[in-house]
Amino acid sequence: MIPLSWYLALSAVLFTIGVVGVIIKRNAIQMFMCIELMLNAVNLTFVAFSSYFGDVTGQLFVFIVMTVAAAEAAVGLGIILAVFRNRESIDVDDASVLRL
Amino acid sequence: MDFDFATLLFILFGGMAVGCAVSMVVQRNALYSAVSLVGVFIALGSLYLLLSSPFIAAVQVIVYAGAIMVLVVFVIMLLNVEEEARRPLRLIYLIPVAIGLAAVLIGQAAFILTLGGASSVNPRTTNKVVGLTSSVGTGLFTEYLLPFEITSVLILMALVGAITLARRATVARPESPADFPRRGEGLALVAESAGASGGGGVIQPGRTDATGQEVARQQIERNENSDE
Repeated sequence: MIPLSWYLALSAVLFTIGVVGVIIKRNAIQMFMCIELMLNAVNLTFVAFSSYFGDVTGQLFVFIVMTVAAAEAAVGLGIILAVFRNRESIDVDDASVLRL
Repeated sequence: MDFDFATLLFILFGGMAVGCAVSMVVQRNALYSAVSLVGVFIALGSLYLLLSSPFIAAVQVIVYAGAIMVLVVFVIMLLNVEEEARRPLRLIYLIPVAIGLAAVLIGQAAFILTLGGASSVNPRTTNKVVGLTSSVGTGLFTEYLLPFEITSVLILMALVGAITLARRATVARPESPADFPRRGEGLALVAESAGASGGGGVIQPGRTDATGQEVARQQIERNENSDE
């Protein structure tokens, strides 16, 4: 049986990659995908604990996190579309001020 | 360390997840990033199966790799953004910050692995029912009914918000079939309404009309040719 700490370490590595991506990327869609990666890393932790402790609550939480991620995808991509329509670019450096 | 089959699978899918994640961050083309992210999702779904959680694994592949990534790829295709240009970073100091954060987090992961207080946890293999669809469903509809209902309201709010955000300024539509513009009048109507909503100057009625009639004539000729 695989030790629980392996899953936690893998989750930490994936989360770190997501953090680094959000910080160094300037394409809004790629930053958005890095956020999805961070959510998935947390999901892996939830499922690992849920499976190792024999409690289904963690998996229910994963279900809710996935719902939030879907809602975030819809609204986030809507915002990206609106920004692109106004500025002809999805580079976040071009959208550094709120006014047009 | 014993190298049984599960360990091998963990190394395979864990390596695939990390490799695809790194590839996602490194790629400059957003579409390649998206494909790499699908790889991460599928690897994580396989890891969920390894953790004996088939329901979450299926939902992972269907919702993440299916629905969300289709949405992302659709937006990438719709915006048709060219590759990120290699220009000097404005916030150059963020790179060392990112590296420092990464070092801290990797250090934490190493701490978990080496000192390993958690590795003494023994999996409760007796509880086989956890992770099956029935147990997840029972939990969702009995004990956690309120959070479940709240997520449904959240989805509804996201739906309304996304439609509101992505909606364009409306173009006046004809009310009844009798109001439909006759041939040649339609473009003038559209141009008029576009001008009314502030987007004037985009559509030039005269030229577009002539072009449209020309195209229609050619299409009719081509259809007759193909029928023969």
